[in-house]
Amino acid sequence: MLEVRNIRVSYGAAPAISDVSLFIEAKDLVVVVGPNGAGKTTLINALAGLHPIDSGSLRMEGRELSRLSAHRYCDEGIALVPEGRRLFTSLSVKENLELGSYRSGARALRAESMKEVCAIFPVLEEKLAAPAGTLSGGQQQMLAIARALMARPRLLLLDEPSLGLAPGIVLELFRVIREINARGVAVLLVEQNVASALDIARRAYVLEEGRIVAQGAPQELTGQPHIQRAYLGLHQEMQ
Amino acid sequence: MRFVAAAIVLGAVPFLGLPAFYESFLYLVFHWVVLATSWNILSGYSGYFSFGHAAFFGIGVYTTAVLAGKLDWPFLWTLPFAAAVPALVGVALGAIIFRVRALRGELFALLTLAVTFVVSTLVLNTPVDGGPGVMLSAVSIPKLAPTVSGTFYLLSLVLALATVAIAYAVYHSRFGTGLFAIHDDEAVAEVMGVPTYRFKLAAFALSCALAGVAGGIYGVFVSYVTVGETFSGFVALYVILMAALGGTRHWLGPALGAAALTTLLYVFTTSDYAVAGRAAMGLIFILVILFLPQGLLGRFAHRKALPRRNAPIPSAAPSTKNMESILVVRDLSKAFKGVQALSHVELDVRRGEILGLVGPNGSGKSTLINLVSGHYPVDSGSIRFEGRELVGKAPHRIARAGIARTYQIPRPFPHLTVLENVALPPMFGQVVMDRAAAEAEAWRWLEFTGLAGKALLQPQHLNLHQRKFLELARALASRPKLLFLDEVLSGLTPSEMNEAIRLIRAIRDQGATIVFVEHVMRAVMELTDRVVVLTYGKNIAAGAPGDVMRDPLVITAYLGAAHA
Amino acid sequence: MPSYTLLGQSALSGVFIGALYGLLGLGLTLSWGMLRQINLAHFALVFLGAYLTYQLGAAGMDPLVTLALIAPAFFLFGAALHLLLARFKVNALNTLLVTFGFMVMLESLIQWIWSADFRRLESHYGDVKWKVGELFVPLPELLTLALACGLALAVWAALRFTDLGKAMRATAEDAPIAAAFGVNEKLLSLLLSGLCAAFAAVAGMCLALSHTLAPSQIYAWIGVVFAVVMIGGLGNPLGPLVAGVVIGVSEGLTMAVTAPVWAPLVSFSLLIAALLLRPEKF
Repeated sequence: MLEVRNIRVSYGAAPAISDVSLFIEAKDLVVVVGPNGAGKTTLINALAGLHPIDSGSLRMEGRELSRLSAHRYCDEGIALVPEGRRLFTSLSVKENLELGSYRSGARALRAESMKEVCAIFPVLEEKLAAPAGTLSGGQQQMLAIARALMARPRLLLLDEPSLGLAPGIVLELFRVIREINARGVAVLLVEQNVASALDIARRAYVLEEGRIVAQGAPQELTGQPHIQRAYLGLHQEMQ
Repeated sequence: MRFVAAAIVLGAVPFLGLPAFYESFLYLVFHWVVLATSWNILSGYSGYFSFGHAAFFGIGVYTTAVLAGKLDWPFLWTLPFAAAVPALVGVALGAIIFRVRALRGELFALLTLAVTFVVSTLVLNTPVDGGPGVMLSAVSIPKLAPTVSGTFYLLSLVLALATVAIAYAVYHSRFGTGLFAIHDDEAVAEVMGVPTYRFKLAAFALSCALAGVAGGIYGVFVSYVTVGETFSGFVALYVILMAALGGTRHWLGPALGAAALTTLLYVFTTSDYAVAGRAAMGLIFILVILFLPQGLLGRFAHRKALPRRNAPIPSAAPSTKNMESILVVRDLSKAFKGVQALSHVELDVRRGEILGLVGPNGSGKSTLINLVSGHYPVDSGSIRFEGRELVGKAPHRIARAGIARTYQIPRPFPHLTVLENVALPPMFGQVVMDRAAAEAEAWRWLEFTGLAGKALLQPQHLNLHQRKFLELARALASRPKLLFLDEVLSGLTPSEMNEAIRLIRAIRDQGATIVFVEHVMRAVMELTDRVVVLTYGKNIAAGAPGDVMRDPLVITAYLGAAHA
Repeated sequence: MPSYTLLGQSALSGVFIGALYGLLGLGLTLSWGMLRQINLAHFALVFLGAYLTYQLGAAGMDPLVTLALIAPAFFLFGAALHLLLARFKVNALNTLLVTFGFMVMLESLIQWIWSADFRRLESHYGDVKWKVGELFVPLPELLTLALACGLALAVWAALRFTDLGKAMRATAEDAPIAAAFGVNEKLLSLLLSGLCAAFAAVAGMCLALSHTLAPSQIYAWIGVVFAVVMIGGLGNPLGPLVAGVVIGVSEGLTMAVTAPVWAPLVSFSLLIAALLLRPEKF
C-alpha cells in the first residue's frame, strides 16, 4: 500500500535520513525503533507530507506523493498523530475532532466518525466542550489519536505516542493501537519504548543515524545486537 | 588613525570660506548620523527596535529650548542637560519595560511609539511648550567658527564623531558582545552570564543621551521649535530606515545610511517632487527590507578576531573528590500549563563526581537543568550551591557563581562566530575577562574540543556533532565548578562518542563536577560514579550505576511493565 | 460639572467613535492575530477608501454603491500584499517595516492626487439626524455603529461555528499540523488578507461619511487603533469593538470634563498599561 524507496531528507546541509526504504501493506502494523536523533521523527514527518523529500519516491497505492503539497497527503488516506501531540489547544476537544475530519472525504461521515471515536475513547465524550489544553497527558494522547481517526485514514502514523506517559496509560495506549489496527487501519508506529512496540508489531525496522540497519519480524530482532546495544546497555545485566 | 585624519580634514571645512549652504547641508548629514547611530546602539545591537527615538530627541530639543529660550542659560551649558534629561527618562522607562520578560520585539516597538505620543501630548499641553512653540532666535551662539552655520557645522561634527566613536567602541567591547548576544538569544545570553537587564538599560540611556544632545543643537539651529515638527513620526521612522539601509549590525552602517538618505531626501525636497520623494523613500524602504535585510554593510558586520594567543593551561586542581555536597536540591517542583514536570525532587551532587541523570523521555531531566541554571523560574523548593540559595537569583548571577550547562538542542548565537560564542562566557563568568583574555581562553577550549579549525565560522556551517562540541566548549570556557551536560552524545557515531567520553573524563580530572544527562547507556555505565533516575518528575532511585540499573523499579520505568 | 445631557452626548459620541475604532481595528487584529502580519498599510488603505468614496460621491455616487466597487478591488490588493510578504518569508517585525513603506507610498499617492487640503464628503446621509430623548443620533455614525457591530459579529460567528473559521483558528496556532489534516493554509491566508483589506474599504467609507479628510490624519489614528487591537486581544474580532467603545467613551467623558487635548493620553496610557501588565497575551 505504502511504498517508500531510497528517500533522503535533510535539514539544511546535513542529511537526516539517507537511502531509507520500507513498505507497509494494508492492515499492517509496522514499527520503527531507533535511538534519539536517529531520524525517526524526520521519517514520519516526511511520510505525512510535513517535510519535503530531497530524493527518492513515496508511493501510496501506486500514486507518487512527494510532489504534492502538504495539505493533500490527508486525501491520500494518511493521518498523523504527531510527536508531542500538537493538539490545537485554543480549540475545544470537539473542534479538534471536527478539524480532524476537515477533508471533504471525511466531512460527510463526520457524525458517524464521531460516534466511533467516542466508543473507542469514552473519556473524550465527557469532555467534548473542554479546551484541548486542559486535558491530562494521557487524555491528550487519546485525543490526538482520535483526531487522526476522524480523517478516516487507511494508514495511521504515530510518532512516539508513549512519550511522557505513565506505564499504566502506556499499556492502555498500545491496547488501543492494536484495536484500531484490528478494525482495518494500517499503522506505522515510531517508538523509543522498544519492548511495548515490538510486542504489538507484525514487522519492525531499526533506524540508526538516518539509515535502516535491521528489519524483520519482532522475534528475529530482539535477539539482534543492534537492539540490545542501542537501548539496553544493561542487557548483559538483565540476562 | 584614519579616523583622526578624517576628523581633522572635516574640522577644517568651516575655515575654508565655503558658502553657508554647504555647511548647513553637512550639518544635517551629521545630525542624522548622530540620530541613526544613537538609535542603533540600542536597537540595532540588542534587537529591541525602538519606534520612539523621536521622543528622546524631542526631550533634548525642549530641554535646551526651555533652558536657553525661556530661562536664558548659555547655549552650550544646556547641552549636558539635553543629554541627561532624556537619558533619565529613558532609564526610568527602561527600568519598568525591561523587567517584563515576555516583551518581544514588535511589542517594544509599539510601546515606544506610544511613549512618543504621550510625551508630545504632555509637552504640548504644559508650560514646557503650551502650544505656540518656543522661539530660540534670541539665543546667542558661541563663535567657534567664522560663520554661524560654520559653528553649527562644527558642533554637529564633534557630536557625530563622538557618536560614531562610541558606536565603534561599544561594538568591539564586552558590552557590545553582550548586546549582540541578547539580540541573538536573550535567554541563553542571560544564562551564560550576561547581565541583560543592566546592559539594555545602559544601551537605552546612551542612545537617549546622544539623541538628546542632537536635539539640543537642532532646536537652536532651526531657531523655532514646535511639538508637531519635533515629535513627528518621520524622525522615528527615518532613523530606522537609515540604520536598516546601512546595516544595523555594523557600527558604521547607520552613518552610511544617514549620509545616503539625507542626500537623497535633499535632492527630492529641493526639486518640485517632495511628495514623489517621500513615495520613493517608501519604496526604497520596502526594497531594502525585502532584498537587503542585512543592509549595505551587513556582510561586513563581524569583529576581526584578535591575534591568536593561547591561554596557559590551568593546573589540574587536586582531585577533590569527596563526600561533600556541592549542590543540594530539596523539594523542587515545576509545572508547565498543568503538566507537572518535576515533583518534590531531591538531589545531592558531590564535589568532583560525575553524576548520571537518567530516565525516560519526558521525565524532567532537562527541566531540572533549566531550573538550576535559572532558565526557568522555580515553582517551589530550594537549590543550594556551595551553601548559597540559588532560587530567585537572576540567571546571570547563577552563571557567575560557577554553574554552566549545555543545551540538548544546541543553541549557539547564530550571528557570532564560533570563537565569539566560546569567548562569551569567560567575559561574563566567575572571573570577568576582557575581550583579549577571553578570546585566548576560547582558543584553548576550541583546541580541547577539536574545533580550532572552525573558529572563525558561524555556527550554521557546523554539523550536529560539531555544534554539540561547540556547546561543550562554550560551557567549559567559563571554567565552571559545576557543569550540566544535556545529552551531548545523542546522534554521534561510535568513534565520535569515544572521543566525547574521553573529553568528559578529562574535564572532570581538571576539577569540575559534572552532572551528565544521557540516554546512551554505555556511556552512563562507563563514565558515571553515581546515577540518579528520574521518571514522571520524581527521583525514584540513586546509587552506583550497576545497582541502579538492576533495580526493578527502574527497569519497569524504562522498558514497560511486561519486562519487570 | 457639565450637564447630564452633555455627558450623555459625549458618551454617545464616544460609542460612535469607538465603533469606528473597532471597524478600523477589525482588519488589523485579524491579520496580526491570525497571520502574524502587522499591517501599517491598513491605515493608508482606509484613507484611500475614504478618499475614493469622497471622490465618487462628489461625482454623485452613493457611498454604499462606491463600497460595492472598492471592496473587491481592495480585496485583491490585500491578497497581493500577503503574497509578497509570504514569498519573502517576512517575519513579524519586518512586516511592520515593509508595510510602513507601503503606507508612506500610499499616503504620498493620496497627497499627490488630492493635495493636502481638507476634503469633506457631502452626502445626503450626513444631513439625517434623529433625536432620541435629549440626545442627537446622526445617521452616518449610526451606520458606522451598525456596520462595525455587524461585521465583527459576523466574523466572530464564522470563526466560531464554520469549518472554515475553525480551520483558520487551527492554522493560526499550528499551520503545519492543520495542513496535515487537509487545511490549505496558503489559500486561507490569501482569503483572510483580502478580507481584511475589504474591511479597510468599509472603514474608509464610514470615515468619509463622518470625518473631514486630510493625508496627515492617517497617522493620528495609528496609536489609538493599535491600542484597541492589543487591549482587545489579538485575533479576537470583537476585541477592537469593545475596547474601542470603552476608550471612546472614556475619551469623550475626559473631553467633556477636562480639556479635549488630554484625550489621546487616555488611549495611550491604557495601551502602555496593557503591554506592561499582560504582554504574553500578544
